[in-house]
Amino acid sequence: MKPALYMTLVLGVVPLQTSLLHYFSLGGVRPDLCLVAAALIGFLAGPVEGMSVGIALGFTQDLFSAGALGLNLIAKGAVGILAGLAGRHVTNATMATFVATMVSLSLLENLVFLFVVRWGGELGDRLSALPSILLPETLLNAALGAMLYWLFTFRRPAG
Amino acid sequence: MLLLCVLLLSLVFVLPKQSLSLLQGIGQPLVQLLSLPLTALAALDRGGQEAWYGYLALHQVSEENRRLQREIQALRGRNNELRELGRAGHRLAALLALQERLQAKTVAAQVIGRDATNWYRAIMLDKGARDGVKVEMGVMAPDGAVGRVVKVTPFTAIVLLITDPNNAVDGLIQRTRDEGIVEGTAEGQARMKYIPLLATLQRGDVIVTSGLTGGFPRGVPLGTITRIDRIEGELFQSAEVVPEVDLHKLEEVLVITDPLPVGDGLERPSARSGPVSPEVRP
Repeated sequence: MKPALYMTLVLGVVPLQTSLLHYFSLGGVRPDLCLVAAALIGFLAGPVEGMSVGIALGFTQDLFSAGALGLNLIAKGAVGILAGLAGRHVTNATMATFVATMVSLSLLENLVFLFVVRWGGELGDRLSALPSILLPETLLNAALGAMLYWLFTFRRPAG
Repeated sequence: MLLLCVLLLSLVFVLPKQSLSLLQGIGQPLVQLLSLPLTALAALDRGGQEAWYGYLALHQVSEENRRLQREIQALRGRNNELRELGRAGHRLAALLALQERLQAKTVAAQVIGRDATNWYRAIMLDKGARDGVKVEMGVMAPDGAVGRVVKVTPFTAIVLLITDPNNAVDGLIQRTRDEGIVEGTAEGQARMKYIPLLATLQRGDVIVTSGLTGGFPRGVPLGTITRIDRIEGELFQSAEVVPEVDLHKLEEVLVITDPLPVGDGLERPSARSGPVSPEVRP
């Protein structure tokens, strides 16, 4: 059941990200569904599943992006592992802890991208990416992550 | 009593006229008296009938109204569909006209998506390696240059837009013939760099492709200069450029598979400065 669900997720998320997600954009910036999915699965199901799904999602995302192949694969895999470790090590996994994890991972991944993608760019261009891409995306990821976390956990018994 | 009745009846037979007038005299006020409730009842009956038929008619009108509303909705849908087809027709006609005007081999493609991340300004096309699309090929719309192909799969291609900071196209200022490099900026516009200091730029100057690099023939409009930056002590000047094409509303584009004119490649210089650009139009 789970592999089929993950397969559907991997095949469905990226087409959604590239086609319809601009309706939910903030100043032209869309949430990163792959990052949210990898973090959520890692946080709820553990680092191994988070990493596996993250790698698959990242690879698919790389195929549909102008960037170098492998960049998202590594980034989303790392997000899955880190979210999994955070989920395992927090004493009380709540929506607040997940949102905090989500915000941290989103900022971290986007900072890495800022340096990798805009490496040769001017400092002004790099700095302008902070309010124009990094912060709106983090906000959208956190909001979407919180919503999905609530959807997946509100029927589960506490603990 | 019986005797009285027999007498009255015999009176009717014996004196018919008199008895009739008597009966009429008695009957008239009675009729008048009875006509009041009769009129009222008739009015009630008429009102009832009118109400009933009105109700029935209203019911029918209501049904007809619902039917007409459904019909209006269907027609509106059809109208929108036709309008959309009309707009698509206009766009495709413009694209076809460009394809005919442009002396280069092209493949028409449809935009099917945007970049999967927020870090690149790129679009995805429904044509790929199977249609002859290769990396580094130029992509344009009827208004001007769009970008260049950076990734190709058998069925799709990813085009980095001219407004992406990682993209650079060799440009030419149409009026002064000065060359420079047009790069994207973080704000989603473009900037022409490395323009010679002696170049006499003006706001509103049109920049076109030089045809030297980037998979474009010479003369494809890139954008219009909106601001000129000259910094003291710098070797070059630069200019802010607004792209000719509205890159947020792209639906169909042409991939330039061969910027050379169809036919003899020896005619390259004259043919490359083909009729795409107003600068070479007669």
